Formats: sequence, C-alpha cells, structure tokens
Amino acid sequence: MSDTSHGTGGLKFDAKKRSWPNELNIFFALIIIIVIFEILGQVLPYMNDQSFLFDTRDRFDSIFNEARLRIIILQVAIIGIIALGVTQVIISGGIDLSSGPLVGATAMIVMSFAQTELVNGNPNPKAVFGEWAFDLPVLVPVLVGLAFGAVIGAINGSLIAYTRIPPFIATLGMFLICRGIAQAWTRGQPVSFPTEGYAFLGKGMMPVFWFIALAILFHISMRYTLYGKHTYAIGSNEDAARMSGINVQRHKVRVYMIASMLAAFAAVILSSKNLTAQSGMGIFYELYAIAMAVIGGVSLTGGRGSIIGTVLGAMVFGVIQSGFTYIKLDAFYQLMAMGAIIISAVVLDKYRQERAVSRR
Amino acid sequence: MKKLIIGGALAALMATSAMAETIGVSVARFDDNGLTIMRNGMTAHIETLDGVDLQMEDAQDDVARQLDQINNFIASGVDAIIVNAVDTNATEAMSQAAAAANVPLVYVNRQPINMDTLPEGQAFVASNEIESGTLKAFEICKNLRAEGKSGGATAYMLMGQLSNQAAVQRSKDVEDVLGMDMCNFITLIDKQTAEWSRDKAQDLMTNWISSGEPFDAVFANNDEMAIGAIQAMKAAGISMDAVQVGGVDATPDALVAMEAGEMDVTVFQDLAGQGAGSIDTALKLARGEEVDKTVFIPFKLVTPDNVSAFK
Repeated sequence: MSDTSHGTGGLKFDAKKRSWPNELNIFFALIIIIVIFEILGQVLPYMNDQSFLFDTRDRFDSIFNEARLRIIILQVAIIGIIALGVTQVIISGGIDLSSGPLVGATAMIVMSFAQTELVNGNPNPKAVFGEWAFDLPVLVPVLVGLAFGAVIGAINGSLIAYTRIPPFIATLGMFLICRGIAQAWTRGQPVSFPTEGYAFLGKGMMPVFWFIALAILFHISMRYTLYGKHTYAIGSNEDAARMSGINVQRHKVRVYMIASMLAAFAAVILSSKNLTAQSGMGIFYELYAIAMAVIGGVSLTGGRGSIIGTVLGAMVFGVIQSGFTYIKLDAFYQLMAMGAIIISAVVLDKYRQERAVSRR
Repeated sequence: MKKLIIGGALAALMATSAMAETIGVSVARFDDNGLTIMRNGMTAHIETLDGVDLQMEDAQDDVARQLDQINNFIASGVDAIIVNAVDTNATEAMSQAAAAANVPLVYVNRQPINMDTLPEGQAFVASNEIESGTLKAFEICKNLRAEGKSGGATAYMLMGQLSNQAAVQRSKDVEDVLGMDMCNFITLIDKQTAEWSRDKAQDLMTNWISSGEPFDAVFANNDEMAIGAIQAMKAAGISMDAVQVGGVDATPDALVAMEAGEMDVTVFQDLAGQGAGSIDTALKLARGEEVDKTVFIPFKLVTPDNVSAFK
C-alpha cells in the first residue's frame, strides 16, 4: 500500500476498505452531543420540565418536539448549501474563502430583480431600479444570481488553475471584491420587499428542502459520476491525476464554478427567507461552511471527505446552536464552546486517521 | 532648487484647495444599515452647503484602522474630523491625537468613553440612548396593561452585539422599565444576542418558540431583529395580535410591518439628523464658534397611530 498520507488516496478511493465509515463516527458524535444537552436540561437548576428533543408537554402528535427538530436543520440549511460547494472545493485540494461575501453581493443583486411594485398598496420604498424591474417572473432573479455566481466561480477557478496562485489568495481577493460589490450596489442601503413568488423560495421549511435536494444531487455526482471521481483524484494527487489524462485545469474551474453557484443559490434562499437583502449578509458564512465540512470529516489536504459527512457536520452545528439556546447559555460562552468543538473535531479526526494508517 | 520650486507649487496648490473647508469622516462600518442612513444624511446635508468638502472613510469595524484614518486626516490638514467610533472604549487616543494637532473633533452616534474629559474643541452629537429602550419598553408595558395582562406577563429580549454600547444600554433600559412598580408584572424568560441581524433573530426566535413556553411580548434592540422575530412567529402560526413586538430605528421595513399590524412599537432615531448635526457642529468648531459638549437629536416614539408621519 502506497496510499498513506491522504487517507485512501488517488483513484483507488474505495469505501469498502474502511471497516468503519467515517460518517458513522460523526453520526455517533451527533447522538452524544444530543444526549449531553438532554442531560444538561435535566441537571441544570433553572431548567423546568422541558426536554431537548422530546415532547414533554404534549404539544405534538409524536414523541418528539417537532419544532425543535425543524429549527435544528432549518438554521443550518442555508450555510449547508454553501458547505456542499465548499466540500467539493476542499476535496479537490483547494479552499474557497469568497463564499460568504459572495452571498452578500448576490443577495443584493438578485433582490433588486425580485422587488414588487406595491407594498401594502404603497409604492415600494426600497426600489433599486425603475418600473421595468418590478414584479418580474421569479426565474429572472434566480437566473441572474446563478449567472453571477458562475462568473465569480469561473474567475476564482481560472485564477487558481491557470495563474497557479494559491486558492487561499485568489479567493481571499475575491472575498474583498465581493464585499465591495455588495456595498457598492446600493451604497449600503438594504433592498427589501420581494414578490410573492420570490418569497416562496425560502418560505418555511423550503431552505431545508433545497438543502436536502442539492445534497442528494451532489452526493450522487461526487460518488457515482466521473465528475466526482476526477475531483477526488485531483485532490489526492494532482500530478497523478494529470498523468492519467484528467484535464486538471478545466476540472478545477468547473469545481469552483459549482461552489460559487451553490453560494449564489444560498443567497437567493437567504434573501427570500428574510424578505430582504443587506450588504452585511453572509458574514462568516465561509468559515462556518468550511467548519461544517471539516467537522464532517472533509480533509483540508484534499482527496478525502463526502457530502454525507458535510450534511452531518451541518447537523452537528444545528444541534449545538439549538442546544445552546435550550440551556440558555450566554452568547460569549457560545462562541468559545463552538470554537472548542471545531478544534476537537479536527484533532479527533486526525488522531483516528493516523491510527487507521498505522494499523495497515 | 528644483525641489523648492515643486514644493512651492505644491504649497500653492494646497493653499487654493484649502479655500474650501474639508471635513474628514471616519465611519465604523459602511455596510451597517443604520450607519448608512446617517452617512447619507451627511452627504445630503453637505450638498446644501457651499464650499464644504467631505472625505469619508470606512473603518471596517477595525479600531486600529480608524485611528490611522484620523491621523491621516490630521496629516492632510482637514478643518475638522467626525468620528463614528468603532469601539467607544478606544476614543481616548483619537481625542488626544486631534487635540495635539488642534483639529476639532466631533463624535457622532456612539458615545465616547472619555465624554467627561473631552478636550476643548471636541463634541458629541447623538440621540440620548436612554430614551430609546425606555420609550419602547414603557409603551409595551402600557399596551400589555391595556390588554388586561397586568396580573402577569412574560417576554423575550433580542439583543445586539454584546460589545456594543447601544445594545448594552437599550437592554438595560428595558430591564429598568421592567423593574418599575408599574411594569414589574412582566418577566423576561430569556435574553440572547442575535447580533442586530434579521436572520439570526429569526433562528433564535424559532428556537425559543420550539421550547413551547408561552409569551406576551418581544423586546428587540433594533427593528431588524424585531422583524426576524415576527417572521419566526408568523411561520409558527402565532397570532400577531396576541404578542407585543417592539424594536428601535423605525426603518422602512419596520414601518411596513407596523402598518400590517405586526409590529407594535418602534422608536425613531433621527440618524440622518445626527449626520447633518455632526456636520454643523464640526463646522461651528472649525470656525471657532461656541458649541455644547453634547448635542442631542431627540428620539421619537412610533406606534400604529402616528406611523404614517414617518414614511
């Protein structure tokens, strides 16, 4: 066996060789965290009879607190969509720091094409363009957003593939450019009041629907199609991938384009859910998306990880966030705990990897 | 010799451009909604004045960058400086730098920590922050009483960034009002930060709703968070007639929510007025006129009764 440093590495990626899929570990971690919150809820003196996940007050038909289950996934669905793209970028051996600001910029742009003319019978107080841009079909803003994402992604990918500057630098530059676009678009003014059709895209549990649908789509494409196999191959060993006939440069551009289009789509859902677009939207989203992927077992050295892992990583985030509110933990400690959890997840994963390698 | 000529020419150039008064402005964050209204208030006001130039910088929420900007303003010889402080605890150094260079300095919107020891030629323009949280909380308290809930009511509070003075003050004001005899029938179930953001408030409120605890009112440090809470409650099927929701800022979005019967109370902070007021104060200081240390731009209570006046 020559594949040591990057897990199963190279084109020989073979899930069967692993006796214990990584995703299962994350799933267990998820259960453990839930149990911890459940216990804290019973032990802490200021908590009354409620349970974290179960319906102790007979409010729902099932034994679960359905409202809790819904918010756990709803609050991570949008960043989760970004994380699906970030996962692919990281597996290909890159990194994308521009996704958060891209969300802000895209939200501003698409919302300008999604505005309605009359608000409560009065003219829209936040109109960006003239009359022609009012009450456009919902497909217009969505396509504008995806096109914008595709352009940004193509620039990211081309810079990285053809000028060979490090992905960290290329996407950091794009980070600033997008933040600038977001602010320049309306000089910082928020854009509000979308059409009903647009508002439907992110209404209620719709963000979760999109997240799961896109997760399934990219799970299939990463696992069963040539696109996915090439992505893993490039991330494991770029030279080997090139020599085995993969057009590495073109493929990289494709990966970054998909990642940015996913971030742009997340911006559509986010602005629809909030019924507003603001230039400050998406702050830290890129870091949370990366953290979700990393907690989900995606290796920052490339070549290893999965969409399922990232979805579970997102769930870990959702459970922790909801759990913190449940036990009424102060915001300061929430940040500290979140940081500690991210670090320990990666340390544990690394330790597990090294053990797996030495066992061979 | 050559250098001397160029230097002389440069000096002449600067002298002519110095005919117009220049004010340097450092704003904490360009992408903050409220600060944007204030910023636009400044630019709009400048256009009505003759021979005054504005040089506006974005401190990008970075204390060090803001101090650099102020020193750059001083170095380029502006007539006055307006600062919307990133961190109100870091204003001492700015005051000293400006005082040493004898350049007038006006703080706007956020109260400097060295308010009591502001050097000569420096002032603070803002609304009296205590008014905002107090006006809102007292109005909601009155409304709950009018609804016959004076036997006992519960509420949640959404707070802004905990490092921000306005967030701390507004939250404290609400708690002070809830400590009054007339309003102590209201109990806070929980208070958490949603970082001024509509999205975070929506998620936080949904988390609260999922715990199933009944509540009668939501106090939010700003309108964006109040709207986020409203969206979460609507999604959970809670009737907006049954809950009192209060915010601060009277943003256009909030006024629309109020007209739709969803938002009950907000407070208008005249941010554009603060921006314009800071320019006027800076000009007065630059011209050596007498100025109060604190220039207050009053808050106004907005309810469904008078909402139309604020559109």
